[in-house]
Amino acid sequence: MARDLAIDLGTANTLVYMKGRGIVLNEPSVIAVNRQSGEVLATGHEAWDMIGRTPSYIVAVRPLRGGAITDFDITERMIRLLLQRVGVSRFTRPKVVICVPSAITEVERRAVTDATRRAGASDAQLIEQPMAAAIGANLPIDEPVGNMVIDIGGGTTETAVISLGGVVALEAIRVGSFDIDAAIQNYVRREHGVAIGERTAEEIKIQIGSAEPGPDDRSADIRGRDLVTGLPKTVRLTAEEVRFAIDEPVAAMVLSVKRCLAKAPPELAQDFLARGMYLVGGGGMLRGLAQRIQRETQVPVKMSPQPLEAVVLGAGHCIENYQALRGMFMGARR
Amino acid sequence: MIAMSFITSFFTFMAVVSGGTLLVLVYLDNRKSRIDDGIAQFRRHIDALSPEARRNSVHHNNSDDRWSR
Repeated sequence: MARDLAIDLGTANTLVYMKGRGIVLNEPSVIAVNRQSGEVLATGHEAWDMIGRTPSYIVAVRPLRGGAITDFDITERMIRLLLQRVGVSRFTRPKVVICVPSAITEVERRAVTDATRRAGASDAQLIEQPMAAAIGANLPIDEPVGNMVIDIGGGTTETAVISLGGVVALEAIRVGSFDIDAAIQNYVRREHGVAIGERTAEEIKIQIGSAEPGPDDRSADIRGRDLVTGLPKTVRLTAEEVRFAIDEPVAAMVLSVKRCLAKAPPELAQDFLARGMYLVGGGGMLRGLAQRIQRETQVPVKMSPQPLEAVVLGAGHCIENYQALRGMFMGARR
Repeated sequence: MIAMSFITSFFTFMAVVSGGTLLVLVYLDNRKSRIDDGIAQFRRHIDALSPEARRNSVHHNNSDDRWSR
């Protein structure tokens, strides 16, 4: 008998929660495929190490962009491999709850459930990421008070107001931490005439990226390819430059939070001032982002102790209480 | 003949009234149990989201205490 699973199929990372066991897998959502034979060569960390460094016959890709499946076939194969790795076989077909962005379209929703069923699940249910994040972040969503959660992932930023176990207001945009990486890549190309890869851009973001000026602002030397000579080149990038480069996606995230605050009923809005908003997701770990949201909204922002795991823990709780929480799944409310 | 006709009509009337009353009672009972089901289902839903219910799934993966309310 297979143990039921919850999967956070994120643009950046995929996490799997097994009923009764907790988180059993956490790795990048990357798959490396042989372009000629179609054979899967690596997944997860191993495939991530290959990004931008593969020979022409290998392609290392992220099958999800902006929280949506861009390659149905590769996503299905990735889910199948994930299920195999956690012990699902042809004869053991578990129930699976998958976390998806709330702004997902009907077609995308069907693509995810179909891919999961074909990969070996007996039943596939979807749950909105902000709702799962609120459960996993341990917010008191069982009470009649306003809980606001901001989930910044690789491809999406979702803000939700939750009370009494349901979503009251929701705002989602397809801008996430990968857009911050892309903004850094574009800036370095435009201002310094150097091409850098997405992994380098991510490293710059982690090392010196910030949304607000701070005491630990630093500079970093980055290496890339000179666009004129084609030779390797090192340039120095300051924290202020990076802040300028990423301002557009960061401003879009802050605006999305403001729009959600504007949608919230007044009775709940006063709760936010007293209780604050909660930031989850890997994108929320950008230095100074919580402070920037707090400055622009005048509402306190608190960081989740486990920003990367909150969503899958929430979905895991739903799989542990499958019958009682069936009403939370996306199909059940439409 | 008139008496027979009256008795038949009376019993027919009584049968219709009894049947109608029975149907109304069955409908009201169903409606009440539907309302009770809704309440019970909502209660189960909320209880499943309580901190106590989340202790096993979320807390054993998260050593930090529930955030300040």
